[in-house]
Amino acid sequence: MSEQKPVIGNEKVVAKQNFFEWFVKKWKSDPLFSIGFVLILMIIIQTIALGFDFPSFEAWLTNWLNNWINILRNNAPIGIVALGMTFVIMTGGIDLAVGSTMVATGAFAMMLLDTGANGILGGLGITGVPAIIVTILLVILLGYLLGSAIGLSVAKGLIPPFIATLGAMLIFRSVTQHFMKDQNPSVPTDFLQIASFKIGNLMIMPIIYWAVIALILYYVSKRTVFGRQIIAVGSNEKAARLSGVNVDKVKFNVYALLGVLVAVASIMQVSRIGSMDVANAGRGMEMDAIAAVVVGGTSLMGGRGSILGTVYGMLIIAVMNNLLNLFDVPTFLREAFKGFIVIAAVFLQRKERVQ
Amino acid sequence: MKLEMKDIYKSFGSNDVLKGVSLTVQGGEILALLGENGAGKSTLMNILGGVIQMDSGSIFLDGKPVHFHTPAQSQEAGIAFIHQELNLINDLPIYENMFLGREPRNRFGRLDLERMIRETEESFKRIGVNLDPKTMVRDLDASYKQIVEITRAMMTNASIIIMDEPTTSLTDQEIERVFEMMKTLRDHNVGIIFISHKLNEVKMICDNYAVLRDGNLVAEGKVADVTQSDLARFMVGFDVRTEPLLRNKRLGEEVLRVEGLTDSERNTFRDVSFSVRAGEILGVTGLLGDGRSEVFETIFGERKATSGKVYISGSEVKISNTRQAIRHGIGYLPRNRKENGIVKDMSIIENASMVTMPFFSKRGIVNKKKHVEDFENHRTSLKIKMEKINDLITSLSGGNQQKVILAKWLSVNPKLLILDNPTQGVDVGAKEDIYDIILKLADENIAVIVLSSEAQEIIRVCDRALVMYHGEIQGEVEGSTMNEHDIMTLATGGVLAYE
Repeated sequence: MSEQKPVIGNEKVVAKQNFFEWFVKKWKSDPLFSIGFVLILMIIIQTIALGFDFPSFEAWLTNWLNNWINILRNNAPIGIVALGMTFVIMTGGIDLAVGSTMVATGAFAMMLLDTGANGILGGLGITGVPAIIVTILLVILLGYLLGSAIGLSVAKGLIPPFIATLGAMLIFRSVTQHFMKDQNPSVPTDFLQIASFKIGNLMIMPIIYWAVIALILYYVSKRTVFGRQIIAVGSNEKAARLSGVNVDKVKFNVYALLGVLVAVASIMQVSRIGSMDVANAGRGMEMDAIAAVVVGGTSLMGGRGSILGTVYGMLIIAVMNNLLNLFDVPTFLREAFKGFIVIAAVFLQRKERVQ
Repeated sequence: MKLEMKDIYKSFGSNDVLKGVSLTVQGGEILALLGENGAGKSTLMNILGGVIQMDSGSIFLDGKPVHFHTPAQSQEAGIAFIHQELNLINDLPIYENMFLGREPRNRFGRLDLERMIRETEESFKRIGVNLDPKTMVRDLDASYKQIVEITRAMMTNASIIIMDEPTTSLTDQEIERVFEMMKTLRDHNVGIIFISHKLNEVKMICDNYAVLRDGNLVAEGKVADVTQSDLARFMVGFDVRTEPLLRNKRLGEEVLRVEGLTDSERNTFRDVSFSVRAGEILGVTGLLGDGRSEVFETIFGERKATSGKVYISGSEVKISNTRQAIRHGIGYLPRNRKENGIVKDMSIIENASMVTMPFFSKRGIVNKKKHVEDFENHRTSLKIKMEKINDLITSLSGGNQQKVILAKWLSVNPKLLILDNPTQGVDVGAKEDIYDIILKLADENIAVIVLSSEAQEIIRVCDRALVMYHGEIQGEVEGSTMNEHDIMTLATGGVLAYE
C-alpha cells in the first residue's frame, strides 16, 4: 500500500457499529469468543434444566455445584489427554493411540501395585507410600517411552502420524491384553486417594490436576519457545526448519508430552475406579479428545490452535452429555448429538472461502 | 471484440483501490497492464473476471453494457482469466483437463473420450501447437501447462484473455514458446491483457501499455514509443536506477570457501568451488535448473552433498542441519517466500523473532520485550511499512514481508548471508530498498551471496558473480566488466572469448 492518502474522500469514517454487527464480526474473527459464547449458552440451558425447585437458594447452589463437580471430575482424564492432543494437532499431526497408551500405562500401574502374589513392587518389598510414588514415576516414564516411540517414528521415520499411531494403537492394546490375560490385579486402597482425596468434603482432586496441567500448558503455548515452534512447524514446516527450528525435536516432543499426559490420566483413572478393563478402557478416547480439540477451534491442518479453546471444547461436550442425561435422551442417540456438535462447531468457525 | 472499462471505482473499507480507471482492449492487441504491487491491477482484473464487484463504473463489450456478478458470467461473455497458479489437474491427461466441468458424454452416459481427444487435437492444430492430448499434465513443463490453459480458454471461445504474470516460473526457452502462442492468438484476433513485472518482456511482446499507480491510470500508449526506463518511471512515479551501484569495497578475511561440492546422488550439482570474503557481495546466477539454489541449500544444511568440503573462516566444517549453519554464522533467505519464508499463521513480530527466539530466551521462555526492541531497530533501518507488530505477516505487501524475513537474521550477527531470489514478487520501490540493504550489510563487513536469475539485478548489486550451467560453475564475471551478454553466454553453456 502506498503512503499517500487518496485525495478524495480521505476522511476516515469510523462507522458506528451496532451491537449485532460487533457480535458478528467478533464471532467470525475470534474462535474463542464464539465457542465461549456457545458454552455460556449451554450452561444457561443446563441451569434451567436442573430446575429451581429447591427449598432454599443454598440447596439449589449445592445441587448445581455438585452437578458441575461431577461433570468436571468425570471429564478430567479425557480433558488432560485433549490438552496434549492439542499440541499434536497444532503440529499437523494426530494421535490415535491415546486409548491404547492409557490401557498400557494403566495395566502397568496395576501390575506394579498388585497386592496379590504377582505384584512387582510388592515382590521387591516396596509397599505403602514409596510404592505409590515409584509407581507414579514409572508409569509416567512408560507413557513418555510409548509417546517417544510414536514421536520417533513420525519425526525420524517420516511415517505419517495417522499410520504411525494407528499401528501403535493396535500394538499397545494387543500386547497389554496378552500380558494381562491371566492377571487379576488389585491395587492398594491408599492408591485410590490420588483421585478420591477430599478437600473440605469435596472430591475435586482430578479437577485440580486438570486445571493445573491446563494452566501450565496454556503458559507453554503462549510464552515459551517450544510453544511458538509448535505453531511454526504446524503452519509452515519448511520455513520453520530454514529458520533454525529443530522440527524433528518439536514433533518428537509433542508426542512424548502427550504420552506423559495420557499416563497421568491413566493413573487418575485407575485410582478412581480401582482397576482397568484392558479390553475396553480407553476405546474411542482418541475420538473424544480429537473432538474436544476441534470444537475448541484448533485446525486439523495444523498451525494456530488454542489450549483454552480445547478446555472450552471439552466443557461443551461434557455439558452436552449432561444435558442429554437431564433430558433423558435415549442412550443410542447420544453419540449422534456428539457428532452433530463437532460438525456444527467446525461449521460455525469455518473461515470465509478465500478467492 | 472490443472491451471497454469506464470509470471503474472500487474501495475496500476506507481504502480506495481504484479511483476511476478506464481501460480499452481490442481484439488482436496485446496490452501490457503494469503497476507496482498494490497499484490496483489485480483488483481491476478481478472485477473484469467477475470475482469481485465494482462500486461504480461500467463495462462494455462491443458497445453493449455488461455486468459480471460471478466468474461464470464473465467466462460466458468470452473473458478468460489465466491465474498465476494454474488451474490444471496434474493427474489427468490434457484432453480431460480441457473439458473439466463440461465433459461431453456419449449416448450411454459415459465420457466421450474420443470426442474429447479429437477436439483437443483440432484446437492444438488450429493454433499450431504440437502436443499429444493424451499426455498427462504432470509430465508437461511449465510453459506447456500455460499453453494448455490458454488453449482451454480458446476452446471456450474466449476473445479476451487475461494472463497474470505468466512467465515468472518459466525459463527463457519456455517464455519464447508462450510468446509464440500469444502472437498466434493475436493473429486470431484475440485480445490479451498481459500482466507482468518484467519490462523487457513487455517491450518484446506487447503492442500497447497501461500503467496503474495508486488506483489511477497514470500512463497509456504504444509500447514502441517508450523505453523500459520510461515504463519503470511511470510505475513508481520517479526515476528508477539501473546502473551498477558501485561502491568502495573493503574486503576482509575469507568467510566461506567451498571445494568440490558435489551431489551425485540426485545429480543436481557437481564440483562447485568458490570462496567469498567479508564485505563482498557475490552473485550466483544461471537459468532454471542450474542447481544454484541446491548448492546453497546444501551449504545451509537443508540438503546433503555426496562429496566436497566447506570451510568457514578458514576451518573445515560439517553442516548437517540448519541449526549448525546458524551457529556457524550463516543466515539464509529462501526463495519462494510464500512456501519457504513466511509462517502465515504468525504475526509480524513472531515471524521476525523465529531465528533469535532460542538465543534471546532464558530457560525456554520467550523474551518478548527484547524481541520487540530488536525488531523496532530493524524496522526503521529496513524501512518496513506496517501497522501493528501483532498483525499477521500476511497483512503486509510482498516487499515488506521480505524485509521482515531479512530482519529475523540480522540480530544473530551472521558472518554470511545467503539471499536466494531476494526480490521475487517485490515491487520496484521495495526492490531498490532491498538493494540498499544488501549494500549496507556488505559495508558492515558481512559476506553477502545473492542468488538471482535476473542478470540486471546481479550487475546492479554484486561485486562479482558466478554463472552456473547444469550444476556446474560455467564461469565468473567481475566488477565493471559485467554485462548481460556475457552472463547469458555463460548461463547457456557458452564460453567467454577472452577466457
